[in-house]
Amino acid sequence: MIARIRNVMGKEWATMARSPSSLLFFGVIPLLLVGQALFLSWIIPRFVSPASLAGGPSVGEGVDGVERLRVLILSQFRFFILLIPAMVANVFATLSIVEEKLTRTLEPLLATPVRTWELLTGKVLSGAIPAVLITWGCAGLFLLLAGALGWGRSMVAVLSASWFLSLFLLTPAVSILSFLLGVIGSSRAADAKSAQNLAVLVVLPIFALIVVQVTGLVWFTPWLTVLLAAGIAGIDGLLVVLAVRLFARESIVVRWR
Amino acid sequence: MKPEPIIVADGLTRRFGDRVAVDRVSIGIEDREILGLLGPNGAGKTTLIRMWTGIIAPSSGRASVAGMDPAEEPERLHEVIGLLTEAPGFYDRLSAERNLAYFAGFYPLRDAKQSVSDALARMGLTPRRRDRVGTFSRGMKQRLALARALVHEPRILFLDEPTAGLDPEAARALRREILDLRGDGRTIVLSTHNLTEAEALCGRVAVLRTRIIAVGEPKRLREASARPAVRLRIRHPGAEGLEAIRRLPFVRAADWDRAGDGGWIVDLTDAEADRPALAAAVIERGGELLEISEVRRTLEEVYLDLVQEGGG
Repeated sequence: MIARIRNVMGKEWATMARSPSSLLFFGVIPLLLVGQALFLSWIIPRFVSPASLAGGPSVGEGVDGVERLRVLILSQFRFFILLIPAMVANVFATLSIVEEKLTRTLEPLLATPVRTWELLTGKVLSGAIPAVLITWGCAGLFLLLAGALGWGRSMVAVLSASWFLSLFLLTPAVSILSFLLGVIGSSRAADAKSAQNLAVLVVLPIFALIVVQVTGLVWFTPWLTVLLAAGIAGIDGLLVVLAVRLFARESIVVRWR
Repeated sequence: MKPEPIIVADGLTRRFGDRVAVDRVSIGIEDREILGLLGPNGAGKTTLIRMWTGIIAPSSGRASVAGMDPAEEPERLHEVIGLLTEAPGFYDRLSAERNLAYFAGFYPLRDAKQSVSDALARMGLTPRRRDRVGTFSRGMKQRLALARALVHEPRILFLDEPTAGLDPEAARALRREILDLRGDGRTIVLSTHNLTEAEALCGRVAVLRTRIIAVGEPKRLREASARPAVRLRIRHPGAEGLEAIRRLPFVRAADWDRAGDGGWIVDLTDAEADRPALAAAVIERGGELLEISEVRRTLEEVYLDLVQEGGG
């Protein structure tokens, strides 16, 4: 059972390791997102009046408006960084499933004793684990660079319980959500590009999270963050049921295009 | 006592919406037998194989393979069967060895690495084992697919169009491999368009056109379907002479021998008894008879007749 799941994961990683364009994507896009977050945290306080800041996090005594603004922007990184697992897992899923379809490897695979859930678990983990690790790596890099830029005091205010809850609960939940949506999209798509269109379904709510927090509509406290992670995990559960049905031997042969 | 068939289809039917892909197919295949499934595209050969291999479930009827119901316990069944699919299906970026190791990893093998190595050696692919499958020819991919179907040493093999799309040399090499498998005492179901292949490899053939139209040994099938016909070779054959032959009372039909060298093919009521009368009639009408011989029908002709009749 475990051996079969590991077998699936090993094959997925071996295939991905031989795809230079995928490796480039997984390496470059997360770094660009980190760079973009740092750039915005640097540029926005220079052009936006701190007076426009309403609500937001309590930073502490003796902190000026510019720094408060920077804290507000830096604190959005915990949602902004969710774009990384969303994109990485989705690309992993679509490349994996679409390749199986294009190379017509699914039918011989279905003639082996592998069970649907073993195959699906192996595939989900092969996409979700790198997505989570890359995200955590980027979070670490972000902290290092923010410290190097002299924003250490701001980062102390940013590194709240919510920040860590986002990183350790929301990141895996979003990775799995994105991967499963990629699988479901890929089962009906003829190529990776059209399958990846479904990624929008994951990316748009992440932008919505950033917007509601920046505008002060909702401030994600630790409890709200846990609730959000639980909600996404619930959706993950529903998608797993759907994906298992889609991955049944008969569905793949009869219904997949 | 006749042994129990190892593969059974009992009224096996599969519908896709309103379309019936396989219609009440009943057949039993004995242990160590090679059965050829013949039929045109869309005849239901692949669907039947998919039902036997537990990839799709029947709409009605029952299937049994090695005493198991494929729809009920596909995973257990897959440990004892091997399937060569119509498209070889490999991960092109991975090596032949890595591909086989992946598929072998799903079977309870004592030494998967050794099994992969043996399967590659058997198909003569050891020298190319580290090469990416994407660089392989279609023939090599098909040999690799056969190696994959054999990696866990299954007792029962389902081969779906194994030589389709191969050049004659590659097809012949693969046929040799299949003949070797027959020697190993495996039970094989082989779907094919190639009638010569079916005749050379299969103990029995079943002609399928959603339902089974005919089943039997290739030789018997030919004999059973043989019409009493003779071939006439005449110096300067003409249309008028052919017309005269057609009017003879014991001639059922007569036409040009399009596959031969310009003679006529004549269907007689009784090929043995009417042959002298036919020869006399030709000579009486001034024809110079060069040769008169019985027509041995090929399996292809029998097959085409059966499929035509079955389709009506």
